[in-house]
Amino acid sequence: MNVPTSVRAQQLRLRENQLFLILTIVIGILAGLSAVLFTVAIEQTSHRLFGLAPSRLRLFAIPPLMSIVTGLLLAKVFPDVRGSGVPQTEAAYHLSGGVIPWRVPFGKFLTGVLCIGSGHSMGREGPSVQIGAGLASVVGRWLRLSPQRVQDLVPVGAAGALAAAFNTPVAAVLFALEEIIGNMNATLIGSTVVASVAAVIVERSILGNEPLFHVPTYRLVHPAELLAYAALGIVGGAVSVLFSKALLWLRSVFFRLPARTKAFQPAIGGLVIGAVLVYSPAIMGVGYEYVDQALNGGLLLKTMVILCFLKLGATIVSYASGNAGGIFAPSLYIGAMAGGAVGMAVHRLAPFPTGDIGAYALVGMGTLFAGIIRAPMTSVFMIFEITQDYQILVPLMVANMLSFVISRHYQPVPVYHALLRQDGVHLPSAATSTRGSVRTADQVMSTEMWFLPPDMSVAQAWRAAQEREDPAYLVGTRDRLLGTLTREQLEDLQATGRASDAVSLVVGDAFVHAHPDHPIDVVLDRLSESGGVLPVVSRIHARRVDGVITHDSLLNRRTARPS
Amino acid sequence: MASAAHPPHDFDEQTAAFIHREIYQLGVLVIVAIAAFVLTQAVAASNRDMSLRDAAEWYRRGESAIATGDLDAAVDAFRRASGRNRNNKPYQLALARALVRKHDNDGAQSVLLALRDSTPEDPDVNLELARVAAESHDVTGALRFYHNALYAPWPSEQADARRQVRFELVTFLLTHKQSPRAISELLAASTDLPDDVGVRLQTARLFAQAGDAGHALDQFQQALRLAPENPEALGGAGLSAFALGNYGLARTYLHQVAEASEDLATTREVADAVLSNDPLANRLGSTERRRRLTANFVFAQNRLASCLEEPGSLPTSDALTLLSEAQTFEPRLMPSVLEQDVVEMGADLVDRIERLVLQRCGTPTTLDRALVLIGRQHGGETR
Repeated sequence: MNVPTSVRAQQLRLRENQLFLILTIVIGILAGLSAVLFTVAIEQTSHRLFGLAPSRLRLFAIPPLMSIVTGLLLAKVFPDVRGSGVPQTEAAYHLSGGVIPWRVPFGKFLTGVLCIGSGHSMGREGPSVQIGAGLASVVGRWLRLSPQRVQDLVPVGAAGALAAAFNTPVAAVLFALEEIIGNMNATLIGSTVVASVAAVIVERSILGNEPLFHVPTYRLVHPAELLAYAALGIVGGAVSVLFSKALLWLRSVFFRLPARTKAFQPAIGGLVIGAVLVYSPAIMGVGYEYVDQALNGGLLLKTMVILCFLKLGATIVSYASGNAGGIFAPSLYIGAMAGGAVGMAVHRLAPFPTGDIGAYALVGMGTLFAGIIRAPMTSVFMIFEITQDYQILVPLMVANMLSFVISRHYQPVPVYHALLRQDGVHLPSAATSTRGSVRTADQVMSTEMWFLPPDMSVAQAWRAAQEREDPAYLVGTRDRLLGTLTREQLEDLQATGRASDAVSLVVGDAFVHAHPDHPIDVVLDRLSESGGVLPVVSRIHARRVDGVITHDSLLNRRTARPS
Repeated sequence: MASAAHPPHDFDEQTAAFIHREIYQLGVLVIVAIAAFVLTQAVAASNRDMSLRDAAEWYRRGESAIATGDLDAAVDAFRRASGRNRNNKPYQLALARALVRKHDNDGAQSVLLALRDSTPEDPDVNLELARVAAESHDVTGALRFYHNALYAPWPSEQADARRQVRFELVTFLLTHKQSPRAISELLAASTDLPDDVGVRLQTARLFAQAGDAGHALDQFQQALRLAPENPEALGGAGLSAFALGNYGLARTYLHQVAEASEDLATTREVADAVLSNDPLANRLGSTERRRRLTANFVFAQNRLASCLEEPGSLPTSDALTLLSEAQTFEPRLMPSVLEQDVVEMGADLVDRIERLVLQRCGTPTTLDRALVLIGRQHGGETR
């Protein structure tokens, strides 16, 4: 009886492998088509809304009016499709087993077209990634693939969509590995390559072989120019930090507004964008037309500086106010302007001969991408694919490395992850990701927990603590952890006359915690920082407590481990 | 237990059902992909048409802006046109030309170099690049792009345009004082010139500017063959012949010019003076030869003497030496028939005096210039 069952299982596995290979091609095609359609739909919408040379009234009125519509859609119908789409795709891949509901790609397409087409300063690549990944997930589930296969299809769809949206197949594969999967050694490299190639073939068969940008021929005129590129890297790093910090800050400001305003927050952003568009329509939408001009030396120094900061501000406002659109293209735009400005300054001031200003703009694009998106390999290969010029690699790597290092120093959490954290989603980093190789926090935590209720006074808490002898205590409830208090903290509060205060008022907002998939070494490090009680919280809802780890629970669990 | 009773049958059924579902789903997916492809292609085509229309409209606006002299608006419009229709060469060229008019040569060069990447052998693009380089005083670059333009594959019906490019190159070379190169280009151009008066005249003019009077005369004569009474050809031929020292031919042509300009009239007078005062001319009688030499000698001696008497004109040792030499030579002109060596010595003395007169004694007269030319014709300068 076992023989046919085993044969059938083998057949099924074989068929699933074959099906997966065919699927990667089909998904690459579908993702590519979705990206092309998304691009075209944005252009059509923009053209219909603004026409050839829009009046000031149109420029001012269309973004807020359209944002009222999209705001309602984003708040009431498609709550999961605000912003870029890349962080949501990462979260879906890492935390939801690759499950993306069908309304996500559909809603992203609709709201993305309306937001970007109505002039919001946002990019189309991030939404394309989410749409492609969403389609892949929907198709995988429809075909009743195994959960692991459904999860694997997410980066495949993302790579296909990005390859078609940006016309850079290699960079798209690297982006899927580096950013979505977070592992350059991923076994999915073959599938992402297949999907990426399929998507690019589809894209080129429809839109032609035209490159996204016309770029100048690159030349390193003088070895000392590398210093200029290093300076560009420093500028790029600084601008990246400014962008990330300002975006996160403004987003937190919008988050603090009353919940009932959520549907109208995008319109606030639209109002600001309308005002900026009246002053400078050049920051409208994706803005690759102006990137092309910067690459070909078509803009003045003053213009590039102004556009750099206007685009930076406009993108922050558009994104933070909750519109649907990405930061991939804006980072390239800002980088091109910053790079062009630095190039022009170097051209005027440097005592040595310098290369084309467009080359600086090009390296600037990679620099900002490396600084903001924090995908340095993608950045290098993306620019390399755009230029198809080997000589640009060294200056590009110099500038990218500096920008990346500066950005990581001043903004340790990459912007996509920081955005997810603001949404209460904690992604695993490469350092903490385990994939079953070692014991993890969920294997050593105790699910028996005791909380100090939020309204309990410090004096009551202290009395309760006297009875329990624990080194620290969780404050809040299982579904909403407010923080932790140590015995010493309770004692100090009691002594300083705050005995009558509620513990919810005295507990600090930040607390050391672990996630269920953290490996044991991370758990040990954090336990030593925690004061003796380490809450284990969900990655999707960072205030929900799944368990707790103490020295005792750790010892008990490890002792109980079968030999 | 059902499977235990009929295992092979159940397995086949399950597998068949499984395969059937897979095939059905893949079929649906393929149909969806094909439908999506067709839809996307149609939308993209419509979008492309829209872009092309927009580009044409921006180009039209750019041309209007050029017409009104609003170069900023023109550049902006041409940029938008080029951005929406990247493969349209006229849009890019219009943008480059507008940038040149705005004196943004770097910008124009950038646009053209990008265009050249896709069409490296396009004569129009290379020509515009040459013009930009010429405008930027980049002689090497201009020459490179002019040559690229010239040796690009021109359609046969555009031979005239190609020739004009070569003439433009020659003019550029002449502006940068590179006459030998200019003459080389002209010689190359003149190998297949059509029988067209205008082209012949243009070639002749450029030869003349380059200092190649021989080829200039040849081209003017070709023009005269086509239009015997063309005043420019007559004048040009006269001047070229004059420059070659062929004063007889020069006089022939110059006297045929009905309404001579001041320059031509002066040259004609000088040519007449050369021909009527040359003591070393062939086929002269001894009396006439003596008369001419004596007249020239007296004229030169008087010019030098009066020049030395002018206030502020300090006698130099050269002038005094020449004056003394003239006084010594004067008796040798007394015989009614002069020996050939006396004639030559006299002509040489007149030539040396006249060259000093030209240097020191203000505006030369027609005869002054004629006497210097006579001396030059007979090797006076080299003596």
